[in-house]
Amino acid sequence: MKIMLFGTRADREVREDTSLEGQSNFWGLHQDKTLQIKMKFNTALAALLLPIVILSCGKAEGRAKMIQNKGSDTLVNVAQAWSENYREVNPSVAIVVGGGGSGTGISAMINGTVDIANASRSMKESELAAARANGIDPIEWIVGYDALAVYVHADNPIESISLEQLASIYGEHGEATTWSELGIKIPGLNDDKIVRVSRQNNSGTYAYFRDTVLGKEGKYKLGTLDMHGSKDVVDLCEKTPGAIGYSGLAYATDHVRLVPVLDSNGKPVIPTVATAADRTYPIARPLFMYTAGQPEGDIKLYLDWILSEEGQRIILNKGYAPVIDIK
Amino acid sequence: MTSSFTTTELNRKNQRTETLFKILFGMVTVTLIIPVAVILITLVVKSDGIFSWAFFSEYPTNGMTEGGIFPALVGTLWLVAVALLASVPLGVAAAIYLSEYAEDNWLTRIINLAIINLAGVPSIVHALFGVGAFVLFFEFGTSILAASLTLAVMTLPVVIVATRESLQAVPQSFREACWNMGATRWQTIWRIVLPNSISGILTGVILEVSRTVGETAPIMFTGAAFFLPFLPTSVYDQTMAMSLHLYVISTQVPNVPDGLPYGVALTLIGIVMILNSASMAFRTYLRGKKKW
Repeated sequence: MKIMLFGTRADREVREDTSLEGQSNFWGLHQDKTLQIKMKFNTALAALLLPIVILSCGKAEGRAKMIQNKGSDTLVNVAQAWSENYREVNPSVAIVVGGGGSGTGISAMINGTVDIANASRSMKESELAAARANGIDPIEWIVGYDALAVYVHADNPIESISLEQLASIYGEHGEATTWSELGIKIPGLNDDKIVRVSRQNNSGTYAYFRDTVLGKEGKYKLGTLDMHGSKDVVDLCEKTPGAIGYSGLAYATDHVRLVPVLDSNGKPVIPTVATAADRTYPIARPLFMYTAGQPEGDIKLYLDWILSEEGQRIILNKGYAPVIDIK
Repeated sequence: MTSSFTTTELNRKNQRTETLFKILFGMVTVTLIIPVAVILITLVVKSDGIFSWAFFSEYPTNGMTEGGIFPALVGTLWLVAVALLASVPLGVAAAIYLSEYAEDNWLTRIINLAIINLAGVPSIVHALFGVGAFVLFFEFGTSILAASLTLAVMTLPVVIVATRESLQAVPQSFREACWNMGATRWQTIWRIVLPNSISGILTGVILEVSRTVGETAPIMFTGAAFFLPFLPTSVYDQTMAMSLHLYVISTQVPNVPDGLPYGVALTLIGIVMILNSASMAFRTYLRGKKKW
């Protein structure tokens, strides 16, 4: 058998010469079967590809120009709504929306793989330098404002919270670990340990909350639950009586409480679109889009539309404050 | 036959042990059905009222809380088709080499080890490899091509192993008979070995499809978009995909109606189950034609 397996090249050529034609009695049988199976295989392949061909041909609306738009989870749903509505404004341009966090968007901008990066924090000096090193000059656009709401369980009776209290709950050197230390008694809860809900560290929300509440040099206390999305934070606070979390106002639901935050005069301010817009709410922040250099062509038209009344009405409907006055 | 054969105490004891273990293992096996049944029933019950023709044929609307899953469905088909085009020829060719040509030497052993290791690499690592290799290095950008190639690399071991197993299941005597008729090695492979192992190869392909349909991590950085208001028109476009769409509406989008994620999940499972059943039926059909 070994000999058969490794016949010389000459052997094989000889075998090719004594070709199989003229032995159709024996081979006919096998060829039929091969052919039959081949046809079956082709049918299966066609069955697999057919729906794609039909669906693509039937509904495709011509070749669209793509604008890549990726980043902040805070902005991703607004970005989606803009993209959805822009389809009617200019059907020849498709806005591809992706999430992942401000860090994801910014690093994609540095790599040059997006046209517009969404971010809920501004780019750091080091990030701008990295982008410039790649020949990209990111330009910042403020497209809206977001109130970073403090969420607790619906049964939590807390009336308001100060930035100092938040720092004491979240900060590395903060003392508060139980609700009773803040003078809060949550009904029906024996273990009054504060469940601190936070975000993953490439989130712009994570960075903005740290900078604003814990200070520029501040660090989070270990043991927070770091969630991978704005909605996850709210979901967890909804289900956990001892939880406290921060997330964009737009993610508020009816099943969770938003805690008013004390401003510098000690006056509690409820997070709303209005208090975010006039900046009376202490932890409201601008939301950014970054373009690679001065936008041109379709990207400029899209950005202009976002900043127009029509685009800003969409961000308002999503629960964020617009950058222009809308009646 | 007379009744001289009487059961002893030992016989009865053995019989009891036999029954005990049969029942025990049987029960363990039956419990395996429970998770599958619970998942399916939950999906069916909770997705009640979601399905309609519009669900499959329309774009998502109103912040992805209404409308259908059409672009995600088409996108998944694109991803699977391109991944198959890349991985099946490669995988089958590699399996033919390993099964029919390769000698048992250090190189073959290293290749086999590499295949096993490739199968064990977590999908997120494949995803990052895909970003580095296909998106950035080959400059395909985030595109169907990059995503599908990532999926192809990930599922290559499945195709190779399934194909190799089914090639090796073809009796050696078939090959020897063919060689003795004067056929070359390639003629033997093309006319005898491949036709007789096609059912096993197809099973491998279908397994690959099932896995490709469900994967999220390898595509989320390489080609699948959160939202895209158009269908892809070439492999250089990005696309929406069922698996990522399910992830997104379950974790990122506020105010999604309760039934919607369940409906998407059921559709996803439905595709996989239909493919699996089809492959099983096809395999049974081909097996019936086998001549040994």
